[in-house]
Amino acid sequence: MKNVAIVTLKGIFRDRIFHGILVNVAFFVLIPSIATLSMRQVTELSLTLSLSLVSFILLLLSIFLGGTLLWKDIERRYTYSVLGLPLTRGRYLLGKFAGTAIFTLFVSIVLGVATYLVVSWVSIIYPPERAILWGNLTVCILFEALKYILVIAVAFLFSSVSTSFFLPVFGTISIFLAGNVTQQVYEYIHSASGSALSPLVCQVAVGLYYILPNFSAFDLKVNAIYGIPISLSGTLLTFVYFVLYAAIVLGLAVLVLSRREMR
Amino acid sequence: MSAVSIHGLSKIFKGKRGTKVVALRNLDLEIGAGEIFGFLGPNGAGKSTTIKTLMGLITPTSGRALIMGKDVSSPEARRHVGFLPENPAFYDYLSAAEYLTFVGRIFKMEAPQLERKSEEVLKLLDLWDARKRLMRGYSKGMVQRVGLAQALLHDPDVYILDEPMSGLDPIGRTLVKEIIQDLKQRGKSVFFSTHITSDVESVCDRVGVIVKGEMKCVRRVDEIADGGITGYEVRHIATGSDSPESITVSTSDLPAILSELQSAGSHILVVEPIRKNLEEFFVDIVRQE
Ligand SMILES: Nc1ncnc2c1ncn2[C@@H]1O[C@H](COP(=O)(O)OP(=O)(O)OP(=O)(O)O)[C@@H](O)[C@H]1O
Ligand SMILES: [Mg+2]
Repeated sequence: MKNVAIVTLKGIFRDRIFHGILVNVAFFVLIPSIATLSMRQVTELSLTLSLSLVSFILLLLSIFLGGTLLWKDIERRYTYSVLGLPLTRGRYLLGKFAGTAIFTLFVSIVLGVATYLVVSWVSIIYPPERAILWGNLTVCILFEALKYILVIAVAFLFSSVSTSFFLPVFGTISIFLAGNVTQQVYEYIHSASGSALSPLVCQVAVGLYYILPNFSAFDLKVNAIYGIPISLSGTLLTFVYFVLYAAIVLGLAVLVLSRREMR
Repeated sequence: MSAVSIHGLSKIFKGKRGTKVVALRNLDLEIGAGEIFGFLGPNGAGKSTTIKTLMGLITPTSGRALIMGKDVSSPEARRHVGFLPENPAFYDYLSAAEYLTFVGRIFKMEAPQLERKSEEVLKLLDLWDARKRLMRGYSKGMVQRVGLAQALLHDPDVYILDEPMSGLDPIGRTLVKEIIQDLKQRGKSVFFSTHITSDVESVCDRVGVIVKGEMKCVRRVDEIADGGITGYEVRHIATGSDSPESITVSTSDLPAILSELQSAGSHILVVEPIRKNLEEFFVDIVRQE
């Protein structure tokens, strides 16, 4: 598994997609000047912009790496040579996933450092009214990373079924979009105005709430930007949720890939 | 213990809209330790399907296969195998040297041994100068050579090679034959597919001919040479002539013709059997379909 992960990492670093996405990091340079345009709450704005950029870059990476890595191996018939080695399909898939996850963490650290630099720079020039909670910012970026690692796991599940990159890429995008709103929908249904909905719609929505990944739980941007304290029990719960959800999705992916014919 | 044993192997590919392709039909095969076996068949006969089943890439519809006594559904069956896929493709963002390191580690080779063997096979396959370049820039034949190098790397006992000579220049083809002969001398088992009969003739102990998913016959290569006498060439000097001439006669006519020539006073120089070569043997079997 370790060896597959290493090879996967090498592949990502030498890939054009990665280089293309890396170009987006250059936008960090623009953030201070854009943020100063707003005269008020410059630090908050620069934090918001930085975290959005972090999120955007990680989203691109998770969709394109998660959706194409496994599929490309099958499409280019690398699987014949690799799975002809004494390697189980499970170890192969988990190795690839581990490589991608490690890479996502690495990119998150790089983006985190960029955010620190940008925000520090801005806050020196325009001292903020409120002290910046660097701890919150760190936890926020860490959970962004976890969120996108979960997106990658979902993309791997799609890739293990699919014979084209269509389903992995667009399926993952759909799940990502849906997974960001399930919490809101769930809350709406249980609110006063939600009781007017038909029971069937409610049941379907609640069902989806439990099946789809709940990505909004990973979003701590507000806490980082406005210095709202982060609840320890909440983050722990989200972390346990991440571990369980990823384990289930990857377990399914391994099961599907093990039964798949390499033909 | 047999290197490879296949029992009643069948494979039906189910396509879209209920189409079915019967790729293998009740295949049986036993390859002994130390044997070089040539798997001969026309395009689409089922050679690659058999090999993919052996490597656990596809699951048989029925029947089973073992490598060194281990069922092919387990990755352990592949531990003692060097496998070359048909028209192989390897992670093209790695160099040949990096890829061999990856393969060696999966086979749990120790670092010094891996380095030594890697150098040995890269030099053997004439890839040493290109070893640090990414495989993305390799020619077709060079990729085929990487395929052979990674199959030989961990010095396995069994080699399963799908068209090992394909894509190689004449020097490369000769090299592959030499490598197989060397493996034979070292007591290794080789199972390789091809559609080129001369490759089989020069290196194999036995040959199996597969046509439309069925094993038509399995023979010793030397038996095909002995058994397939189709006629004789008789060289003689007729009475009154001083230059020799040749006539071709069928096996059944030979005694009559010989006595005829003798009674006519001819001087018979040589009687040579005309053997059917493997090519004709193969074409005959395929044409019978
Ligand atoms: N993935 C697949 N789906 C459907 N049919 C397949 C598939 N792979 C192979 N076949 C069919 O199975 C039969 C055997 O194919 P196979 O690739 O084993 O032939 P082969 O003997 O290796 O031929 P070649 O000499 O051309 O390599 C063919 O009729 C082929 O069309
Ligand atoms: Mg073939």
